[in-house]
Amino acid sequence: MGFYLLHIISLIAMNLFTVMSYNLVFGKGKILHFGQLAFSIIGIYAFCVPLVRYQWPLWSALLLGCLGVLLVAAFFTWLSLHLEADGFGVMSIAVHLMFLSVVLNWQGVTRGALGIPGIPRLPYMASLESFTLVVVLFSALWMIFLWYVGKGAFGRMLSALSEGQWPAASLGISRSMVHFVAFTISGFGALLSNLTWHSYLRLLSPSDLQFPAMIFYVMIVVAGGAGSFRGCFIATVILVTLKEGLRFLNLAPNLVGPLQLILFGVILFTAVWVRRETVFPKQRVV
Amino acid sequence: MTQLIANGLIAGSLAALIAGGLALVYGVLGVFNLALGQMVLIGGYSTWWFHQVAGWALFPSIVMGISIGALLSWFTFEVFIRPFYKLHRFLPLVTTIALSLILDGMILLLFEQRPRSILSGAKETMHIAGAYVSKEQIIMIVLTMGILFIFAYVLHSTSFGRKIQAVVQHDHAAMSLGIRAPALHRFVFILSGVLASCGGIYMGIDTNLSPTIAFSITIKAYAAIIAGGKGNFWGAVFCAYLIAFSEQFVVGIHWFGAFYVPPGYQNTVALAFIIILLLVKPSGLFSSASRSA
Repeated sequence: MGFYLLHIISLIAMNLFTVMSYNLVFGKGKILHFGQLAFSIIGIYAFCVPLVRYQWPLWSALLLGCLGVLLVAAFFTWLSLHLEADGFGVMSIAVHLMFLSVVLNWQGVTRGALGIPGIPRLPYMASLESFTLVVVLFSALWMIFLWYVGKGAFGRMLSALSEGQWPAASLGISRSMVHFVAFTISGFGALLSNLTWHSYLRLLSPSDLQFPAMIFYVMIVVAGGAGSFRGCFIATVILVTLKEGLRFLNLAPNLVGPLQLILFGVILFTAVWVRRETVFPKQRVV
Repeated sequence: MTQLIANGLIAGSLAALIAGGLALVYGVLGVFNLALGQMVLIGGYSTWWFHQVAGWALFPSIVMGISIGALLSWFTFEVFIRPFYKLHRFLPLVTTIALSLILDGMILLLFEQRPRSILSGAKETMHIAGAYVSKEQIIMIVLTMGILFIFAYVLHSTSFGRKIQAVVQHDHAAMSLGIRAPALHRFVFILSGVLASCGGIYMGIDTNLSPTIAFSITIKAYAAIIAGGKGNFWGAVFCAYLIAFSEQFVVGIHWFGAFYVPPGYQNTVALAFIIILLLVKPSGLFSSASRSA
């Protein structure tokens, strides 16, 4: 039981990296972005492939992962500036699926659907207890950083842009700069989640990077209240625990996956129904 | 080369059928339906069930598949679209993501993960101008062309088509002229569901139905709509064929006599192609650019 509790705490902490930073983009910034896993794919493969397959030093591999995230952030910024909001939403999914397709097919480098085994545990994270301690500590630091970012000048610029790009531009807010910073923070959140998760499993499996994982993040942000820091934190704790708790129901293995999909679909729909007035609030008028 | 053109026509007909209906929905309602791929699969799987499991003849099975697709799209409109799209046009994007999860789970429970084909056994192929095509594929290409011609006629030469165009331009202005815009919204959405079901049946007859392809279908259809200029029916149809041909030609040719793109990258090629196209013309091929800050 003690081990299981540590496992759940670690899972919540690892998910918080992505969820809280995604909340900054989708929740606070109202940027219709569904390509969060594109960051995960590029970041984690740019880290794991050199580290495990070509025996690069840890810090060099990490640097490459960070560079990958920055490139994806720049690409998403460019797309978001050129497409209408809903068009960007769809194309962000397209980018995710495109990267996933490359990873699944470039078998000589990524080993395709087999994934990459033998990922080492990160420093100071060898045992479950130390892993939980370190990941909770880093998660808390990441949340403090995001809280300051959200409450500070950048958060106000993001909010202003979400209400209207022209009024924000008249205040001197650079849309391209704000989007790039928001996507970069969001990308680093995804990278942190994946670094810890795949190091925890000691396996990089592309099945963890499919679109339903993205819907899980959307569900948490909508259920917690888009843009609400505390709401998203509470929703992460509840929904990650619920997701793990489903394993304890006495169901046939082939039923668990489909029932989980149906349950999460119903939760997402209910969350949107309840928060339909606030997920995308109407523009203010004078 | 002829075989690649034939393959492009076959794949393009399926994509055009789905994307054309969606372009109308986007034009009339201004919303995206991300459960589209699952609606395609439900149409195909229902037909498969009636034909292969219940033992019905093919034609009544197809009618049942289309009817179930129409019922599903009506239900989708009433529960997942109508209560939300007047509040904010982005809300249906999220509600239909929820629906896609529910439908994905139901498809896995009801039809399982293994591929299903509506017609069992090998299909007879004919050799036409250097390309091998089956009788079913020829029927599908001709049927799609027929449906597109009917669309062209209805949209441009009937009073009903003019009503649709009026609602596309401005639904409140259309309502002030006595056009029942809400009823047209519902009709166009159900029509897009029917076309999606036809696409699923087409796919189930031509190849296989598999639960894993739903999102890929949705994204490619929307890529065609965005690249064609959102809401532009003919732009979407053109880009659907363009994507299908690009998929066939990029992976089917030995570039410079030596290098070829493996077939696994077909989806990647199509999506990369659209992104490059948007790099050149961000508002889409057949649309004027909008101003942004």
